[in-house]
Amino acid sequence: MSNVKLPVFAGLVGDFGSKNFNWDKIRQVANPEIVVAFTLFAILTFIAVFGQFIQTHDPMQGDLLKRFTPPGSEGYFLGSDHLGRDLWSRMVDGLQWSMACAMTANLLNLFIGSTLGLLAAEKPGMLRIIINQLVYTLQSFPGLVILICVVVVVGQGFTTLVMTLGLLSWVVYMRVVYAEASSLFQREYVQAARLAGVSRWSIMFGHVLPGVRASLFVIFAFHFAGLLIAESALSFLGLGAPLGVPTWGNMLAESRQYMIRAPWMLIVPAGAIVTAVVTMNLVGDGIASLSRKKGRSIDV
Amino acid sequence: MSQTVVEVDNLSLEFLSPAGNLMALKGVSLEISKGEIVGIVGESGSGKSVTAMNLLQLLPKTKINIPSGSVSVLNKNVTEMTEEQLQVLRGAEISMIFQEPMTALNPVLKVKDQINDILFRHKKISPKEAEEISIGLLRDMKITDPFRVYESFPHELSGGMRQRVMIAMAFSCSPKLIIADEPTTALDVTVQAQILSLLKERAKKTETSVLLITHDLAVVAQLCDRVYVMYKGEFVEEGKTNQVIGSATHPYTKALLNSLPEGKTPKSRLATIEDSLTETAKESIPENKTISSINSHEIILEIINGSIEYPKDYNIFGAPISFHKAVDQVTLSLEEGKTFSLVGESGCGKTSLANSIVGLNQLSNGEIKYKGINIKDQPPEVRREIQIVFQDPQSSLDPRWPVWKIMTEPLTAEQTPTYKELRIKASELCEMVGLEPQFIDRLPHEFSGGQRQRIAIGRALSVRPKLLVLDEPTSALDVSVQAQILNLLLDLQSEFNLSYFFISHDVAVVKHISDMVAVMYQSKVVEMGEAIEVLTSPKHEYTKNLMSSVPTLEIKQ
Repeated sequence: MSNVKLPVFAGLVGDFGSKNFNWDKIRQVANPEIVVAFTLFAILTFIAVFGQFIQTHDPMQGDLLKRFTPPGSEGYFLGSDHLGRDLWSRMVDGLQWSMACAMTANLLNLFIGSTLGLLAAEKPGMLRIIINQLVYTLQSFPGLVILICVVVVVGQGFTTLVMTLGLLSWVVYMRVVYAEASSLFQREYVQAARLAGVSRWSIMFGHVLPGVRASLFVIFAFHFAGLLIAESALSFLGLGAPLGVPTWGNMLAESRQYMIRAPWMLIVPAGAIVTAVVTMNLVGDGIASLSRKKGRSIDV
Repeated sequence: MSQTVVEVDNLSLEFLSPAGNLMALKGVSLEISKGEIVGIVGESGSGKSVTAMNLLQLLPKTKINIPSGSVSVLNKNVTEMTEEQLQVLRGAEISMIFQEPMTALNPVLKVKDQINDILFRHKKISPKEAEEISIGLLRDMKITDPFRVYESFPHELSGGMRQRVMIAMAFSCSPKLIIADEPTTALDVTVQAQILSLLKERAKKTETSVLLITHDLAVVAQLCDRVYVMYKGEFVEEGKTNQVIGSATHPYTKALLNSLPEGKTPKSRLATIEDSLTETAKESIPENKTISSINSHEIILEIINGSIEYPKDYNIFGAPISFHKAVDQVTLSLEEGKTFSLVGESGCGKTSLANSIVGLNQLSNGEIKYKGINIKDQPPEVRREIQIVFQDPQSSLDPRWPVWKIMTEPLTAEQTPTYKELRIKASELCEMVGLEPQFIDRLPHEFSGGQRQRIAIGRALSVRPKLLVLDEPTSALDVSVQAQILNLLLDLQSEFNLSYFFISHDVAVVKHISDMVAVMYQSKVVEMGEAIEVLTSPKHEYTKNLMSSVPTLEIKQ
């Protein structure tokens, strides 16, 4: 599986679509850490996509006679919870929910953050000042606190959660794009393009955005991990997913009362969160080292 | 002169890499006696720095393989030394002067701390004694106010001053050998002359051996007793400096000397290394055929009282209150088909002026006329007749774009030509600038420095410009490549009747290529006129100083 995923990702970082793309080169740079990262990521993606086919039970249907079944017995692969629901199937549902939420919010972040970063970096002026002030304002609030405030006001649900995360946590993208694009806009090849009369949009999308692309992929992976945690934390506090929806945060919240009696109820969702977050961080590291090895340091 | 300081015997070295091993040195033998100044001359990538680094064992041991040869410094075999023993050797017995004094000095430490660091490490002395020694060293470097320099941070000093500090540090533990890796390449000519004479004087006085690594034969002629000429990892010629330069025997050394613009007829073709190394080429190269340009006497560019000011200090509301004058009241004019050169030190305002011609910044006062009309009133398509070629072809080409896309980018600004049209155009441009058209799918990093500069010139030519602003187009290149680019520029000029606005600090290049010259000093043009006249019989004090500082191949005894 790793062989399938790996080149695809490396390609996205570097010469995607170029004739110089070389599988042998990728094999040379693929160290064990990168292979592990992309294998884990592939497995998580597989579970998220084909979840329905590998669930053993209906995640919502409980069997009260089989409450607190330990993992591995009576057909419950990872045990059952206080209502006799299958933890494995619930975890798969939770993965789908979390991945979908984090992915959508992340794409929204990517779009908003890099657009504002590019616009602010292009030239000094009113636009740069306004965007920077907006960023300072957002940064002056502690991240989770502002999310909680907004969710309390606008209410729960998938869409509200995604919109809240998507519209409020793009600062990291803006910061990085702004810093890197500012230096790229000063490059001589950009100046040469300007002198030739090339339009500002062509310069942005032709020269500058491809220059920050490698960094964007790295942040995308790390930020994904951050969003997973944020989503789980909000759900745990009862502010993310509506009650009853099997998300990892909700599962953790439910397990609190039965921690001693059925520790697997805690361990399964917690383990899932840790695995997903570590995987995304490893993927981020992997992309960073791949793009470095290809001679394009991400810290330009 | 009997004692041998360094002896390298038949040393070969290869770099290990997954993509294949690279032979960097092939059987190199080198000997340096006590008090001798020895030069290694060669192009970038010829292996000269590797030779020097290997004396100090500074190359990562896991990445190299030494199939044969030995290196002994002060009669000790350094290849068998432990890291601790090497540490004693470095600094105390051998020290190094680097090319770029800004990066070689630690920016967060005062000069005081950096010199003391070396002194304390290798000598048992009190801080008081250390200060005395340091001040003495700085004074020896002809620094007029050593106490101020001693208490300064590197960024508070000028480039020349920093290099003096570096040399003082190199001499601080009275080493037996100093390795100077391109010590003056980053400096202005006038400063370079001072630094070179300082280094020579100091080395002769203390009987220190110096290994000088440079690409500049003229620097070697000024400084060295003996010289080794390096080419592709081998010493192709060695001997007394005046012998090597006066009567070179190896074809490569001859070629290197021929490619220098110094002493050649202005505007003649320079012999490139390839020309000289392939014997058949001799007939095809017309010897010293002067390339004539059409004399239309029509003025294409005029700058009238041009000044550029940059804000220096700001008040609390962010409004500028005082200005720094980068260009002060400059008036000049350029005839069509001619080359106008601007010579001056770094920071004299020549690049600011060039940028204002192409429109990258604005004049604060005065006006620039292109074809008799103020450039601001010219429509964009006329303004595009002025194009620029930057100094460093590494940073002026987008590393992610293939060559055909880079070269034809200016064409996409107005119209939207098809992919096919662009590729045909790119092939034409490649032929125009002497590149193989089949390379148009390659990325910039797959080309050498000279080829990249050709790509940059090709891009500028794509919109059929009338005037090219050339901002030090050859100073990042090796001399032999420089010769090729200068030839190309002269060919293009006669073919398309181009006008050049040429900026350089290299007097020999300017003399070779220009019709008119203006010498700039501290934001002002101090002298202007016919190139030959200004550069052979300078009138202004600064021009005289500049001309006498330029290192030449003549050996002063």
